[in-house]
Amino acid sequence: MNDPLESQRGGTEKRPRQVFELDETGFNEVPPRYRRFYRRWKGTADSLAPNEVKCPVCKVVIRSRVELRAGDRVYCMPCMSRLEVIEENGELVAKVLY
Amino acid sequence: MADFLSNYSIQRWLESCPQGYLEDTVYGHRPDDHEPESMLDNDLLRESEIRSTVQLVAGERCALAASSGLINSAPDQASKAFLATQTLDEGRHVEIFTQRLYDLGVKPQDLEATITTYLNPHLAKFAEVLLEKVDKKDFVAGVVGQNIVLEGMAFSVFEMLQATHTETNPKFAHTLSGTIADERRHVGFGENRIGELIRRYPERKADVERMQRDMSKHMLATFHVAFSGSAAANEEAKRQMESGARPKTKAVYQGVDLSAVSTEEMEKVLASTVLGEFKTRLARIGLEYQSPL
Repeated sequence: MNDPLESQRGGTEKRPRQVFELDETGFNEVPPRYRRFYRRWKGTADSLAPNEVKCPVCKVVIRSRVELRAGDRVYCMPCMSRLEVIEENGELVAKVLY
Repeated sequence: MADFLSNYSIQRWLESCPQGYLEDTVYGHRPDDHEPESMLDNDLLRESEIRSTVQLVAGERCALAASSGLINSAPDQASKAFLATQTLDEGRHVEIFTQRLYDLGVKPQDLEATITTYLNPHLAKFAEVLLEKVDKKDFVAGVVGQNIVLEGMAFSVFEMLQATHTETNPKFAHTLSGTIADERRHVGFGENRIGELIRRYPERKADVERMQRDMSKHMLATFHVAFSGSAAANEEAKRQMESGARPKTKAVYQGVDLSAVSTEEMEKVLASTVLGEFKTRLARIGLEYQSPL
């Protein structure tokens, strides 16, 4: 699988998920075919798009082709962490699954 | 075996690292990049860079000894393979930071004497605590000490150094970007592998937490000595910027412009960032952060 989104378990929302076109971001820390699915976090002023979530382990931003929702599972290839998307204070964040 | 390692392979390490972000680099930077003349020509600034690079070499020598030492105590083949790649990463870090000492004017025959002269004694004690666990073949404590405490500290230190050098020294900033990419894998292995092992061996928690407290104590002392020793060089760098001898630049780290604050404030930002990260990472894997204060 190319997209880091491993499974869509998220949400009871019936609205279809937004789809995103992923451009290259200059991220070069994974093999070329996976690079557009990640980008470097730009610090505290960086705002995440609906298809993005920050890896709490290595601080890389993980990007999916589709909008993310609470309950989705994603994979962070740069640090090999498996993550679950959860909602915290109205924002989507990732929680590590051990 | 931990599930997270099932997607890991040495082939992927080859594609990500030597064939990825290290491609076309020489000692971790672009072949045409050089240390800036304004720093090389200034004895105070050059000595300060030598002093800080010596700490990087010492820290990486410790990481090399620890990661290679942990291979034989790793309980599964996937962890052994990962630690083999980490050993090569750490060996590369020792080499690139040693090369930087040469680029700063240290002669190869003076390398060990230079390291002895400038090595922060608290960093040496920090390394001793970790290597004692590795020597005892204590895999759980060794990985927490190496991949969470040491690598967690290195991750934040490298990010701060990169922020302060991005505009003033692209060569060193590029070198650091490769080491930061390596650290992502190392902290990822530490958290994921230990997160699973601590759940299996909860009786190890107290001993591992004690080691974290001791290492954190030596780390904070290391920061204090390092920042106190760099105050004069930081003032000189600010003076150069004000006089126009070097361009006025910003170095933003954790929302703070480091080029505009005192060394005490820089130390506070780094220490609180690293300790905050320790607390968060340790809590995630089921360990309680022990304050050294």
